Amino acid sequence: MLTMVSAHGLDPGPTQRPLTAGLLAGLAAALPALAILDSFAWFETLAALFGTSPRTATLLCAAGCSLSGAVYALALGRGANDPLGGWLFGLAGGFFLWMLVPLPLLHWLPAWSGTGRPLLVGRPAVGLLLAALAWGGALGALFPPIHRALRAGIDTEPTGRASLGPEAAAMPKLARTHDKPEGPPA
Amino acid sequence: MAGALGALAWAAVSLVLRAVGLPVPDMVEPVGAVAFPAGEPWLRWLVGLALHLAVGAVWGLVYAYFVFSLLPLPPVLQGVVFAMGPLLLALFVLRPQLRLMLAAGVEAGLLVRPALSRQAEGLGVPAALLAGHLLWGAVLGALYTRPTGFPAHRPPRLPAPPLPRPDIATAPEPPPPQDRFMFATGIECSYPTIAQGSWRMDQMQSCGHYRHWRQDLALVRELGLRHLRYGPPLHLMFRGPGQYDWAFIDAVAAEMRRLGIVPIMDLCHFGLPDWLGNFQNPELAPALAEFAGAFARRYPWVKLYTPVNEMYVCTKLSALEGLWNEQRRDETSFVTAVRHVAKAAVLMAQAIRAVRPDAIFINSESGEFFQPCCPDPEVQRIAAFENERRFLPLDLLYAHPVSQTMRAHLRAHGMPDEEYAWFMNQGEVHNRAILGVDYYVWNEKLIDTSGRAQTLGELFGWYVVAQQYYERYRRPLMHTETNHQDAREAPRWLWRQWHNVQLLRQAGVPIVGFTWNSLTDQVDWDAGLSVPRGNINPVGLYDLNRDPRLVGQAYRHLVRVFEPALAQDPTLEQVLARAAAGRMVHAPDAAAPDAGTRPTIAVGGA
Repeated sequence: MLTMVSAHGLDPGPTQRPLTAGLLAGLAAALPALAILDSFAWFETLAALFGTSPRTATLLCAAGCSLSGAVYALALGRGANDPLGGWLFGLAGGFFLWMLVPLPLLHWLPAWSGTGRPLLVGRPAVGLLLAALAWGGALGALFPPIHRALRAGIDTEPTGRASLGPEAAAMPKLARTHDKPEGPPA
Repeated sequence: MAGALGALAWAAVSLVLRAVGLPVPDMVEPVGAVAFPAGEPWLRWLVGLALHLAVGAVWGLVYAYFVFSLLPLPPVLQGVVFAMGPLLLALFVLRPQLRLMLAAGVEAGLLVRPALSRQAEGLGVPAALLAGHLLWGAVLGALYTRPTGFPAHRPPRLPAPPLPRPDIATAPEPPPPQDRFMFATGIECSYPTIAQGSWRMDQMQSCGHYRHWRQDLALVRELGLRHLRYGPPLHLMFRGPGQYDWAFIDAVAAEMRRLGIVPIMDLCHFGLPDWLGNFQNPELAPALAEFAGAFARRYPWVKLYTPVNEMYVCTKLSALEGLWNEQRRDETSFVTAVRHVAKAAVLMAQAIRAVRPDAIFINSESGEFFQPCCPDPEVQRIAAFENERRFLPLDLLYAHPVSQTMRAHLRAHGMPDEEYAWFMNQGEVHNRAILGVDYYVWNEKLIDTSGRAQTLGELFGWYVVAQQYYERYRRPLMHTETNHQDAREAPRWLWRQWHNVQLLRQAGVPIVGFTWNSLTDQVDWDAGLSVPRGNINPVGLYDLNRDPRLVGQAYRHLVRVFEPALAQDPTLEQVLARAAAGRMVHAPDAAAPDAGTRPTIAVGGA
């Protein structure tokens, strides 16, 4: 995966804030997804299954969407920020999220663990797929503008990275252990 | 699109087979039944088809973006292999999941026949899924073969943006008072053909410059730069003898002037218009001279030109290594291409000077070096020959006599003595010339024991290689291209190149500029533009979304630190005058406060 990502120049640049943008875009994209899930009686079903309230289930789902947005941003890097193709990447992201997270958690694990039938069947299961696609499409469409609003200026000093100045030419890792930077001659 | 078409082929074949009575399970209608369990069958089928196409498109996107360039298989086979991934997911995730979803319709009595039920399907559905995915993958692989470029004989029309209205245009930024040391970048503009001239690799298209040209020019100024190496798309503008499409460049040139950008116009960059064929065509030199003259008349304010970019690389990859344009692999073709290209560069310079006598030519060439691995006489001979061959196009352009060995080689491969004599008599060309020496990590090569050239990496560096070019031609120098394929290493490479420039200046060589190439990331240069894979090479100051890369910030920092000291440099005209007078020792203006008491460039801190 890393080879694939690096082959496409996906490293986010120093002025980008993929995590923050992903968290916010994921949360914003959760709105249509939550509406769909609600219309498919998903939260009531989930709350009944786990003995909690629909509101708690809704909040947990929103938090999950937000975190998933950050993961999406980290995984796709520059691609997530593509103003033209972003929505399609998002749609694909929603599809894969659906396959990788809620399906195993809600359907396959309970079935495999011998507790009986999968937790979500029928309308709530349909709602889950549609919500994941809606979330992905909205995430992909919203990410670029949200990212642009958060982007730092070109003059912002990057954090946690090598220097931008002349000392960037140096290779400190090559130094022998007893080498120390010398001060100016007296 | 290829993914959606593959899914359409799957649905169509399935429909036809069922129509002729074969027991093929319907994979589309059950998907629609998920969304509309109570809908009419035709509605469920149409909705199912839409979802089926959407899923095909999503998987096509995954294929295009992450897999296409990495699987080294023939196109159809590559698509089929990729399809095994979606097949497994369809068998073990989607199919059972659909069954769960459809349970609602069955329980409600809306679905009479529970599609995809275990009882109904048997082995039919898995077999149908396998066949469908194979078909989908084959169509995807067959259709998605050239994600970048376009057919050379059907070039797209360039956009014709409206020129800015004078009454609403903001006041133009003043250009620099005089051309002194040039910090530059370039818009990547290569446009060779591949596949025997049938497919055009157009970097301005691949990198989005035709769409984002206005933003690209603004980014040049955001970096604090004024000089821009810019190659107008010759293949799209020069539509035939005396036929030019200026509309796009008119708008670009107007914006450059408004922003105070000084272009170094690069008139031929690795390719020719389709109607001119390739570099074996003897008509290309007068044709390009005609274009250069017309260009100079159209834009009389342009002073800096690169008539033909990297002549050595252009001819070598076209006629000796078989990658571009004529795709030949023999010495006669190489010599022919060199003769034509060098003659074009001479005639273009003359045509431009006929319009603008004070034009300056920045002849950008790849700085190459070949190191013999061992004392084997044959290895030594090959290295010596290649070390002279690298100079050949510049030798002809600058009327520098070649060795007897090279002269015999040229004669043996079709260059008449009269033509060689003509080149040696074009002495006035280099009076207004600056020699650009490009340098990348692959420019130095080792001639191994079998006589083949292997990439060495940075062995001696730009300092040594550029000095060899300088010693041969005694022209003012400019570092006209460099970059690094690893975005994280790029700032280090930038500064190391800059330190090379500084040291050579301090040694007395007149260096008048430095360039990071290019403004944005490039596409498919990791394969030398020989295959349209769509691989993005993160070498730009900005990525293809036009977000800055680390090296963009570093270059801006470098320019800020060193520009004040370089403002004391002699102007280009002064440098050229000194070169013409044979006074090649570089020194700051006499008016500079500490002229003669310090090195040419003071190394300052941030």
